[in-house]
Amino acid sequence: MRNLRKIAALAMATALAAVGLAACGDSGGGGGGKEGGEVAGTVTSFPDYLDPQLSYTLEGWEGINNVYIPLLTYQHGNGEESTKVVPGLAESMPDISPDGLTYTFTLRKGMKYSDGTPIKASDFPYAIQRLFKLDSGGAPFYEAIAGATDYADGKADSISGIQADDQTGKIVVQLEHSSGTFLNEVALMFAAPVPQSTPLDKDQTSTPPPASGTFMISNSDPPNSYTLEKNPQFKTVQDAGASDLPEAHVDKVTVTQNKNQSAQAQAIEQNQSDFMVDPPPADLLPDIQNTYSDRFRFQESINTYYFWLNNTKPPFDNVQVRQAVNYAIDPAALNRIFGGRLHPSQAILPPGMPGYEESNLYPGPDLEKAKALIAQAHPSDMDITVWTDDEPDRKRIGAYYQDVLNSLGFQTTLKIIGGDVYFTTIGNLSTPDLDTGFADWFQDYPHPNDFFGILLAGESIHPTNNQNFSQTDIPDLNKQISDLDTKQLTDPGVEDGYAALDKSFMEQAVWAPYGNEKFTTFTSDRVAFDDVLFSLVFNLDYSSFQLTD
Amino acid sequence: MPPAGAMPTGEPPLPVGDDVEMIEGRSPWYLAYIRLRRNKVALAFGALFIVIVLFCLAAPLWSHLVAHTGPNQNHLTEKIDIGGKETFVVAPNGIPIGPGLHAKFLLGADDNGRDVMVRLMYGGRTSIYIGVMAAFITTFFAVAIGLIAGYYRGWTDSVLSRVLDVIWAFPVLLLGIALGTALSVGGLKIGPLEIAGNSLWIPIIIIGFVYVPYMARPIRGEVLALREKEFVEAAIAQGKGPIRVMFSELLPNLISTIIVFFTLNIANNMLLEAALSFLGAGVRPPNSSWGTMIEEGSDRIVTAPHLTLVPVLMIVLTVLALNVFGDGLRDALNPKAKIRMEH
Repeated sequence: MRNLRKIAALAMATALAAVGLAACGDSGGGGGGKEGGEVAGTVTSFPDYLDPQLSYTLEGWEGINNVYIPLLTYQHGNGEESTKVVPGLAESMPDISPDGLTYTFTLRKGMKYSDGTPIKASDFPYAIQRLFKLDSGGAPFYEAIAGATDYADGKADSISGIQADDQTGKIVVQLEHSSGTFLNEVALMFAAPVPQSTPLDKDQTSTPPPASGTFMISNSDPPNSYTLEKNPQFKTVQDAGASDLPEAHVDKVTVTQNKNQSAQAQAIEQNQSDFMVDPPPADLLPDIQNTYSDRFRFQESINTYYFWLNNTKPPFDNVQVRQAVNYAIDPAALNRIFGGRLHPSQAILPPGMPGYEESNLYPGPDLEKAKALIAQAHPSDMDITVWTDDEPDRKRIGAYYQDVLNSLGFQTTLKIIGGDVYFTTIGNLSTPDLDTGFADWFQDYPHPNDFFGILLAGESIHPTNNQNFSQTDIPDLNKQISDLDTKQLTDPGVEDGYAALDKSFMEQAVWAPYGNEKFTTFTSDRVAFDDVLFSLVFNLDYSSFQLTD
Repeated sequence: MPPAGAMPTGEPPLPVGDDVEMIEGRSPWYLAYIRLRRNKVALAFGALFIVIVLFCLAAPLWSHLVAHTGPNQNHLTEKIDIGGKETFVVAPNGIPIGPGLHAKFLLGADDNGRDVMVRLMYGGRTSIYIGVMAAFITTFFAVAIGLIAGYYRGWTDSVLSRVLDVIWAFPVLLLGIALGTALSVGGLKIGPLEIAGNSLWIPIIIIGFVYVPYMARPIRGEVLALREKEFVEAAIAQGKGPIRVMFSELLPNLISTIIVFFTLNIANNMLLEAALSFLGAGVRPPNSSWGTMIEEGSDRIVTAPHLTLVPVLMIVLTVLALNVFGDGLRDALNPKAKIRMEH
């Protein structure tokens, strides 16, 4: 997820300043807190969009995942539980034809949006059409739908591969080729139905569409704040049988942008604010961990941090040189740069992702072995450029990596460029000196193909906006990626297949991965901390917020 | 009639009695030296600056003989013995060790486990080097422009003055950031001259360039005044060409001003370097300068304040030393002058 990278960087810069107001309500609920009341939190950067068809950042998805519900959705819960795809506005999981090309959904009956408009089956194709009309970053996920590209190119007035019947609630989706990830893609915010009165080609961040979830956006004032309030029509969704969609405990959630990271964390310490979207700054983290251990915890997140190694030119076209880098890298050292928030790992897939297996292919750090491998490989070019961006932790990571490469005998130049242009620069194959550098990847959805298909398949190498920074193109492994993509993750042997794929790529040392960043939950005393859920897909689950008695 | 024995010189006779000492001729430089010698405060700060320079020049010695580590060497997972106890240079939660009485990491470590003392010494070399080299660039162009504009006057003066006005119109810091950001990626390429984006010459050229108007304008003013003096008119009347007049008549009279400006300019350059590096538009990591050290330390102001305070203290001391010494130099060379680097 390209935009999510920025979020990870912003994870080191946090601030909170808002006021939580207590309110009364009936006692009850799941966690022993009270119902009703208001909570207020802050975010370092206002969401990119509050429009479900456009939002493509963690800030955005965290804010709206309880507002807009797709046909399928992710289960509310902690950890791995939150990666399970469950029915949302659809009655059940879809029927999939034996050839894997046809998906049949049935919409629940009698549901209404927050403004009272009935939720109709045809709202789904309308949402997909909006994606293409808005040129959304999420549109490529739905190009496998028959007729989608014709619609995007203006050759058709509708998407021929989606048939929706408002009377029966039947939605039939025809794909051009079978896809093992389509269920995950239907469960993304991008595919959430919206009323057809929503403008087809206009961003609605300032006037968000009516909601189908437990909250509705009652106020949006970008880039300052937005407010979620309980959706009065959510009962119609629950009455339609949406038992996997919990009702919110609090009446109102206000999220305010605050760029001052220390002030944000201190506001929570002093109970002037209730939660923060980003982790506390590294400087305050140790004190917060020690002093507020009853309302602070680390959270797993599905992401991988790695160094890409250009597989197409010396010195990293030689597998021994790439393996040497893997032996030399010390995830424990990099964990210190993350302030202890890194789960050290040398696998491509992160924990929590189906197919993840802990890897110990390159035990170390073993500088002697690394030097021996390089001596054996005797690369023709030892003069390399190391790329990273200018965000504080990235600069430190770059400085560490450069020092490691220098100790292996490389002559390195550290190139630090602006975070806003970093990935487009290294993703442009005409950029000179693309040797090695920093990268990370946050899942779009919990499916291993979101890593292999985008980051390591030969066909994903593009002259511009390239995501395959190592320019990895190994025919045998390309075929394995394609074969696995035609199967459902639940099919026998598929998870093991992805685990084997991970191992094969790491035997080739196409990357030098070093870990997975952890996020945090930090709340005020007012919030029932133990009941706060943290989803691996959407991060904080605002529907789980509950005030203490 | 003159008395017997008197020399028939036609001059009045010397008085008879005690020997009279000849009054020794004193050059303006000697007078300036005497005045400077009397200014103990200026001398003390001048000595302080020399000590700081020597401290920075000793960086390789300290690095090799005492600390046994380079300025960019990471020690993230290493341990050192402090009071008989093995201690991580950087704790698992990312907090680096602070200053203490241990040869290695005397001033503690930074976030990457690099020795702050070693980086401070190398960083000082960078900061002072940039300050001095940028001052040379500023002085060269400012003197050239000031002499040409002040000597020729007329349209030459108008054109050069307007160009200086344009540069002056930009706030120094904003101009520095804009140039620094633009040049840090692609470097500088002018004809055969090619400078890499991470070269120290990028901040040197930027800083040297942005301060030219602040020095050129007062020099031009002084040249305009000198141009009207009789000795200049006499030189022209004798047939001296413009270049000779500028170099043999005007420049010697500007030397004291130039020296004072040069000294004060170094201090300003160091401050601007620190500001640009702090904002990411100056010295490029992992190279250290006092500015980059402040920037890197600012993220740890609560848990490791020494990372920021130590380089700040060094900048304050160096700039203070240069400013006080520069003022003393000005008072000594030209007590009536009102030379100030104002911006």
